[in-house]
Order: sequence, then structure tokens, then C-alpha cells
Amino acid sequence: MEKTDDIKIKRGLDVLNSHKDSKLISHLNSCVHCGLCAKTCLYYLTTKDERFIPARKVELVSSIYRRYFTFTGRTFPGLVKARELDDKTVEEMVDLLYGACVMCGRCVQHCSIGVDIEYVVRKGREMLAEMGYVPGSLQSTVKAALETGNNMGISYEDFVDTVEWMEEELQDECNDTEARIPLNEHGKNVLYTLNPREPKFFPLSISAMAKVFYAAKESWTLSTNMYDVTNYAYFSSHPGEAKKIAQRMYDEMHKMKAKRLVLGECGHGVRSNRWEASNYIEKEFPFEAITSVELMAEYIRDGRIKPDKERIKDTVTLHDPCNLTRGSGVIKEQRYILKNCVNDLVEMTPHGTDNFCCGGGGGQLAMSEYNDRRLKIAELKIGQIRKTGAVIVATPCHNCIDQLIQINVTYNLNVQIKTLAEIVADSLPV
Amino acid sequence: MTWYSWLAIASLAICLAGCIYHLIRLIKLGKPKDYSRKSGSPGSGIIYSFTGAMNPVNKESAYLNLPTYIAGVIYHMGTFLAIILFFVFFFTTTLNKMITLPLVLFLFLSAIFGTGILFKRVTDKKLKQLSNPDDYISNMLVTGFQAATGIVLLIPDASYPVYMVIASLLLLYLPVGKLKHAIYFFAARYHIGYFYGWRNVWPAAKHSR
Ligand code: SF4
Ligand code: SF4
Repeated sequence: MEKTDDIKIKRGLDVLNSHKDSKLISHLNSCVHCGLCAKTCLYYLTTKDERFIPARKVELVSSIYRRYFTFTGRTFPGLVKARELDDKTVEEMVDLLYGACVMCGRCVQHCSIGVDIEYVVRKGREMLAEMGYVPGSLQSTVKAALETGNNMGISYEDFVDTVEWMEEELQDECNDTEARIPLNEHGKNVLYTLNPREPKFFPLSISAMAKVFYAAKESWTLSTNMYDVTNYAYFSSHPGEAKKIAQRMYDEMHKMKAKRLVLGECGHGVRSNRWEASNYIEKEFPFEAITSVELMAEYIRDGRIKPDKERIKDTVTLHDPCNLTRGSGVIKEQRYILKNCVNDLVEMTPHGTDNFCCGGGGGQLAMSEYNDRRLKIAELKIGQIRKTGAVIVATPCHNCIDQLIQINVTYNLNVQIKTLAEIVADSLPV
Repeated sequence: MTWYSWLAIASLAICLAGCIYHLIRLIKLGKPKDYSRKSGSPGSGIIYSFTGAMNPVNKESAYLNLPTYIAGVIYHMGTFLAIILFFVFFFTTTLNKMITLPLVLFLFLSAIFGTGILFKRVTDKKLKQLSNPDDYISNMLVTGFQAATGIVLLIPDASYPVYMVIASLLLLYLPVGKLKHAIYFFAARYHIGYFYGWRNVWPAAKHSR
């Protein structure tokens, strides 16, 4: 690891010293070290490693805050274990804040005080990002997004080829040569966005959503210029880079003159565009941004699509992406969709706002440095899925899909993993 | 007035000044600023944060650690009681016999729980690693304050000076150590209530869980 220097340390400390409001000092001053958050965190539960207790992650950041910004920490550092921001601290921060937190926020809702642990972890990551310590693999994903417009570096030609191929699939499926996947059409009702994993690895989820749009007779388009719903700088927590990516989506909406920005099935993509983006660019969106989950629920509610639940007889369970439930308040809609599209829905225990992360959140899937840990912490999800006896695991997030596919193989789970659009499309008798 | 009364009053003034400093800082930094379009109600989220979200049935930190949680609740109730009695003692240390005994018993019980929490902090590996001297000092000051309050109720004349010294130490330490969570607890709960309320995550009763 590159050594710290005065400039880096100043950059890191500036993060703790710049306050938009009273949130940061509230959360940095309130942990009472009761340790009762330990059993809420999948890292601690699966490894029993004390370093992974949520409070230890908070402590790393707050001990630096105390050292430099409080009377007690400056005068009697030993009394409050106030820490210098030095090489050792940075190394520990990288390991715990990037490598041992999926930013799921589960601990936050159960903390005895109400410390926003996930927010403090994000602030710690922001310090590291400003100092230049983002893990290499994560930073290269951010770099690809900044340089090519999508985090997988997919070329324009490849993207268009894939979409055309999926359009043919759609036409076959709907038995209609007029069925289309529109590209770059201005003034539509919906600008739809994707996780770049879709054109790269799972193109059928694009045709599945296109089938839903077709059935709902939606006026929609994709943009070849900006279709990437993800913002990996949200995970690296570099505000400048996150802002650039957020601004691009904002500008594209204006250019395309669409009415609604529909965020594809990607938990952090939803969170970073629906909530964080306005704060990155410091502007309220003048357009509506909703998730494809909410949109599909709306179609069913309004009778625009009529799923036939008899078409999916297998037992289905739902994996809740943390950023959709705890991060965005989208909790009922996915259940409403599934209740209308499948015959037998079995919930995991716990679920909803109490769900456990699949293990792939917080940018873990983009950080190969921590692959072993990522697969280990999935044990909880494996246990939850097994208990449901489900044959299909549905989840409205391509990051979760990727992790679930990997653990399905690693742990011999033998289930099918599907997006919600795929479930809805399968249930449509078009 | 006695020297120990002066000491306690001076400590109380310093404590209040310290707490006001923290409060003013919080108020000056202000309310959360969120540019995103809200989908819920921050007000309802804040109310839920102080009510439903604090319900032990909804908190793993409570129902998965029930003995510690109950000990903690009683310990905090003991602290509130001791603080009320601190102000009462400026007027009288002799209370009606009917209420003295239950108060003493409760204060001693809460001091025993406080000692138990301290014991857990010293013996539980994960808690020990998380703790710093401030945690131990804070616990000992509060537990000592509770026990001393109980003793004053039993033998006022003999114990009052020592009690006032313990109370003064506690008051002086409160704004600089971990005990300042007496203020920041409310700020933290306000902020998570606002955050989850804004995003329509809380109140949780709105969702099927
Ligand atoms: S439950 Fe909350 S207050 Fe207690 S140690 Fe964990 S983060 Fe700190
Ligand atoms: S946000 Fe999730 S992974 Fe991170 S400390 Fe909390 S429970 Fe653990």
C-alpha cells in the first residue's frame, strides 16, 4: 500500500471536517460501545470475527474524528482511544470499510442508539477515496464508467448488436414483427436504464422487460449514450466521480426529453439515482425517477398488463435487495407483483426491511480482493433460501443476481435465479 | 452554604455550559439537507424513530440480547431517578419513609445492573476490544452516583459530602466523555428517523414485513 503523506492526511481529515448539516457529528458522537449490533451483521454472524462487529467499523472513523476534532481526543487521546490517521489506520480502514461491509444498513435499524453505521462507513470510504486508497478492482470499474459511459466498457457497436438481437427475440416471443426495442427516441414517456451486466451477460432480461413494455403498450426508449443505471462511485464513495456519473444521467434525461426515468433492476443503481444523485449534483430532479419494480406494479394495478399466475407453478421466493428496501422504501411493490405473477410465493425469514444482504452489496462483487469473504458471508442467504424450499429465487437486482448465481454453484443450491421482469414476462400470456 | 454544595453547583453550571455547547453546535449545523424528491414523511419517520423503532420487539439489539437489554433499561431508569433526586436533595435529604425504601431498593438494583454491565465489558472479549478507558470511567461514575444516591437516602448526614463530590465528578465528566450520548442519542435518532421517513422506509407499519 502506498504510504500516507501530509497532503493525503489533510484530504482525509477534510471529509470529517466538512459538514452539510448536523448528521455527521450526531453519528460520530453517539456510539456507546454496547456491542449489541454484533448479531445484526452478516460478517460477524458467519465468521465470528470480532473485527467485523458494526461498531468496530464506526469506531475506526469516530476514533480519528475524536483525535483531531474533539477536546478530549486532542488532550487525552488514550482516554478515548483516539487514533492518528496513519498508515496502520488506513490499512485497517481499507480492510474493514471496503472489505468487510456490504453497506446493507441492517445494523442501523437495530442499533440500540440509532447510529447510522452505514453512513459512517460511507464517510470512512469517502476519506479513503479522497486519499487515493480505493481498492484497485473497484476503482477500475468506476474508471470504465467514467471513460466509456458504462461500467463494463461495452462499445456502442456491441450494445446496439445485442439490443437488435434481443429485439428479434422479442418479435419471436410476441409473434409480432412490429415489436421493438426503441433506441435513442426523443420525447417518450419512459427512458429505461439497464445494469450493463444485462447487455454483457444476461441479455434475455432486456427482452423480458421489453415484453412487459410491449404488453403495457408503453412509449419508451433506451439511450445508447447513457443506459447504465449503476454508479460504482457510490461504493467507492468518491463524491466528485459519483457526481460526474449522476450528472450524465440527469443530462441524458433532458436531452431525450423523456417524462419518466425508469431505473432498471439494480439495487444500488436505484439508490444512487433515485436518492443520492440529487445530492451529488445538488439539484432536485425536475422529472420523475421511479424503479421498474414500481412501474410493473403500476401496470398490474392499472390493468395495463394481465399476468397469469398459473403459468408459474414452481415455488418462488424473493430476495430483497438492501438498497431497494432499507435504502429506498420499495418493499410492498415487489410482493404485489409476485403475488400476481406466481402461484406459490414463500417469504424468507427474515425479509423486507430486516432482510440479509446476499453478500454482493457494497461493491463487493467489484472487489475481487475480498472474494473469499464474499462467498463466506453468503452462508446466511443460502440457509434462508434452503428453508423456503423454493425452486426459483426472484430478485430485482442484477448485482444480487450475480452473487446468487455464484453461490448457487458454490453451495450446490440448485435453484433458478430470475429478475422480476423475467418473472413478469414469463407470466404474461402474450 | 457548604463547600460541597458550592462544588456541586459549580459542576452543574460547567456541565450545563458543556451540554449547551454541544446543543448549539448541533442546531447551528442544522437540519438534514436532502435534494432528492421525498416519497415519505420525515416527521412520521422521526416520531417512529422514537417510538415504534425503539420497541424491543422491533430491535435485534434488544430481543437477541434480552438480559443485557433489560439491565440497560433499568440502569438508565436508575440514572434518571438519581438525577431527579440530585435536585430534590438541594431542598431535603429526608423523604417520607414509605417511598424511601422502594427508591433505595431500585437504586441499588440499578447499581448492581450497572456493575454487571461493567463486568461484562471487562470479561466479554468482543466488548473489551471495543471499549476504551472512557467507557469504564463513565460506567463507574454513573454506578457510583446511583449507589451514593441510595446511601444518602439511608444515612443522609454521614454520606452527603461524599455524594456531592461523586455527583460533581459525574457532572464535570458528562460533556467531555461518552456520557454526552445523553444529547447525541436524540440527535442520532432524529437523523435516522428523518432519513428513513424521507425515503418512506419508516414508519415500518406501512409495509408488510
Ligand atoms: S449497537 Fe449501536 S451504539 Fe451499540 S455498539 Fe453497535 S453501533 Fe454502537
Ligand atoms: S452495513 Fe451491513 S455489512 Fe456493514 S456493518 Fe452494518 S450489517 Fe454489517
